[in-house]
Amino acid sequence: MSNQSSHRGKKSKDLWRFKEAKDVTALERFILLIFVITGIICILRFANWWFIKDNIGNVQLYILFSLAFWYSIFRLILIWINYLGIKKPPHKDALPGLSVAIFTTSSPGEPLAMFEKTLAACAKITYPHTTYLLDDTQKPEFKECAERNGAVWLELVGLPGAKAGKINAALELTKEDFILVLDPDHIPFPEFLDHTLGYFDDEQIGYVQVSQAYYNQYRSFTATGAAEQTYNFYGPTQMSLFGYGCNVAIGANCTFRRKALLSIGGHGIGLAEDLVTSIRLHAAGWKSIYNPVVVSRGLVPEDFGSFCKQQLKWSRGVFEITFAELPRLFRNLTGWQRLSYSTIGTYYLVGLTQLIFTLIPFLFFFTGILPARMEFADFIIYGMPVVICGVAIYLYVQRWVCDPQTEKGLHWRGMVLKFACWPVFFIGFLLALVNAEVPYIPTAKKAAIGFVSPFVRPLLIHIISFIITIIGVLIYRKYYMPESQLAMSAEKTWGMIGFASLAFIMSVGGVYAALEARKMKVEDPWDSVKI
Amino acid sequence: MQSKNRKVPFRVISALLAILIATFLVFALSSGGDSSKGPIENAMANIGEFFNNMELKLNMRSRTNKRENKLTWLKPYFKDKNLVNHPGKVLLGVYDNETKENFESIVNLEDSLHTAFPLIHIFCAWGSKPEEKFPTTQVRNIIELGSIPVITWEPWLTDFTVNDIPGLRKAELRDKNGMKDVADGVYDTYIKQWAQSAKKVKRIMFLRFGHEMNDFFRYPWGPQNNSPKDFIMAWRHVHDLFVKEGVNNVVWIWSPHPAYEFKTFYPGDAYVDYVGVGVLNYGTIAPWSKWWSFKEIFGNHYELLASFKKPILITEFGSLIVGGNRAAWYADALDSLPQKYPMVKAIIFFHFSKDNTTTQQVLNWYIKDDREVTGAIIKAINGWKQ
Repeated sequence: MSNQSSHRGKKSKDLWRFKEAKDVTALERFILLIFVITGIICILRFANWWFIKDNIGNVQLYILFSLAFWYSIFRLILIWINYLGIKKPPHKDALPGLSVAIFTTSSPGEPLAMFEKTLAACAKITYPHTTYLLDDTQKPEFKECAERNGAVWLELVGLPGAKAGKINAALELTKEDFILVLDPDHIPFPEFLDHTLGYFDDEQIGYVQVSQAYYNQYRSFTATGAAEQTYNFYGPTQMSLFGYGCNVAIGANCTFRRKALLSIGGHGIGLAEDLVTSIRLHAAGWKSIYNPVVVSRGLVPEDFGSFCKQQLKWSRGVFEITFAELPRLFRNLTGWQRLSYSTIGTYYLVGLTQLIFTLIPFLFFFTGILPARMEFADFIIYGMPVVICGVAIYLYVQRWVCDPQTEKGLHWRGMVLKFACWPVFFIGFLLALVNAEVPYIPTAKKAAIGFVSPFVRPLLIHIISFIITIIGVLIYRKYYMPESQLAMSAEKTWGMIGFASLAFIMSVGGVYAALEARKMKVEDPWDSVKI
Repeated sequence: MQSKNRKVPFRVISALLAILIATFLVFALSSGGDSSKGPIENAMANIGEFFNNMELKLNMRSRTNKRENKLTWLKPYFKDKNLVNHPGKVLLGVYDNETKENFESIVNLEDSLHTAFPLIHIFCAWGSKPEEKFPTTQVRNIIELGSIPVITWEPWLTDFTVNDIPGLRKAELRDKNGMKDVADGVYDTYIKQWAQSAKKVKRIMFLRFGHEMNDFFRYPWGPQNNSPKDFIMAWRHVHDLFVKEGVNNVVWIWSPHPAYEFKTFYPGDAYVDYVGVGVLNYGTIAPWSKWWSFKEIFGNHYELLASFKKPILITEFGSLIVGGNRAAWYADALDSLPQKYPMVKAIIFFHFSKDNTTTQQVLNWYIKDDREVTGAIIKAINGWKQ
């Protein structure tokens, strides 16, 4: 296999080789522990300064601001503590003679060319297996494609749940003991099953998840950012979750034990069906393995609209689990699992906190109300060590990403995308709150060309109101503000402008990502992949 | 053996060099900060100050109707301490409580009185809180408005944290003999830092430290906690620290309560520039008060206050409305004042809308909307021959 296009000069040839995260040594764990202790001390010092009575401005706003801010800091601590459990399972050779199925699904609108590649790659997987195409396109070409590549074609039309419904129906039509669920955009390597099946000799293991990696991340800002958001997750974060017995199934690239799936009534259905499945399996007492190896590569959304749509579905789906699944199964989970699923379940609250951070400066510019009366210098002096520890730990744990050569870095694009997507997360939260469905927004697997999507609109509104407000503030200060107020209000005003600029930059990044989609290559990313 | 001998000097020299560089770095870092501010804090304060000044200059450049234009006659006073100690006319000023965010309320009073005050009075407490540092922003604004700042500096000792000043006693034990601690240098880091900030103002500012130190019932730095001698030692210590830090733009106001014995609290001619005195008529709002005239509150003590041969500054000047005719009180007080009391060189109006510092009730000293009062004041001041 090779990928002939070399975008942005990266060594994309390397992408199609097996990669794995490095082992964890005791010394590394000890160094990590020191980092985390230092970080927590810095946070305590920061908190000790933050929660001083004299810092309170408007009480209600101060409480709101503090909640939003310390929600983020608290998550930081949880992530650090999670890292302390980092663990890599030792390799286990697969026993011969296991019966294995590979399920991949196709839906109307998905490009046939992509399936050609995926199914051809499935055929090349060395461990004996049967590949099934779970199809509801009602197009004969898909059947032909499956048969051409030695896969069994199953027509499963009119089932609930995009993927899970078909998987459950296929479970009834097949008999294999182990089922690898593969997303159709993911092209597996021949050695895929050799890195998952071995772990099933432990009867308690319900599923084995491997890393999810991509081959189109160099095609756009959005793709790079979206991929960057996953690097630490599929490396150190999942490895650490595994260390605490909490690693989650992520839909694609997950090998399940049929018995485990049947014990929970089949694959979970919903917008975050992978997460539903893993929480149910954990609650039913099944154990799971996370193997940090790259044995397939797939697609990451290339344009801002598709990315946001994916994020909206996830955020809505994850909140659904928080509200519906987590309370129901809470008693059956272990302590660490409770903590980690609660943490994952509240991840997208960042949409709410970011809304608060975005609105506070505007409230100040128009009404003069301030949540806190903090000295900017103090904020830096107490806050900076926390930032430094955060960055240091983030970079340190990157020694365990699955493909250090392409995945290490500060991941600023990922951060920009995360914060530019706050309206999406916020809408996801609201939809979950009123138990509403995600509205239908058309998109395709490959980049949808277009700019002013409903996801870009809030960012544009933010950018325009920011610029108008700042110009207004500057003009007012230059020509109209009484001289008796100028000097006294300078520090606060400029502090707020600085604070507001952070969110502004994120929104600009989001709009840039959306703009870039307009001049994107129309060629399909899989065109250049040779099996 | 020989090669080993050659290696030794190289190693020793490298080690010495490293120590030398490290020492230099330590010095560089320590000199980056003030005596009590760290280098980072100091650098950030300086950068902030620089940008705030620049922004102010930029925003003020195109404006024509500046307040400072009305006070151009005051310019010679800004750097001439001798002139300030012997002013050619009575300097008027104001304290207003609603100046936390801006000085707009002062401008409003000035509009009512058709004047621009050469002095603007603010109060600052000692302590570790951010607002208890030197009021750089307020002072800068007062100067930008064309006036001279007057700061009442209150040595409250209970607001300091042990973090800031190690080895402090518990807060409730600090007031007893607190002035002796000041004199002994316990609070020197704070005082020095304040002095350095005051020095950076580079223009004349009045400083009224530890006022009404002879009143048993008011402030913790009073005689109930401190002997007159300790107060004097504290005053001199603070004064000397300022001199040592090279501060020469501060005019020292020693401000006793005229109703109690005060001579024993006088720090000495070399330490005092002005004698300050508060003149507030509370009218009949409290059992202890009655409608006192200006003469009763101030005039009767004038001889004694003038005996120090220092110019007199009325630090708080005002009357409440209950119990008499307020306009008449102001008219009587200000009528021919320069002739009646030639040593009085400055008067600061006490313009406090919500004063709860003295009684249980909230008192309103505002006069800006009382046409009768402002008319009487304007008339009296216009009648001064000076």
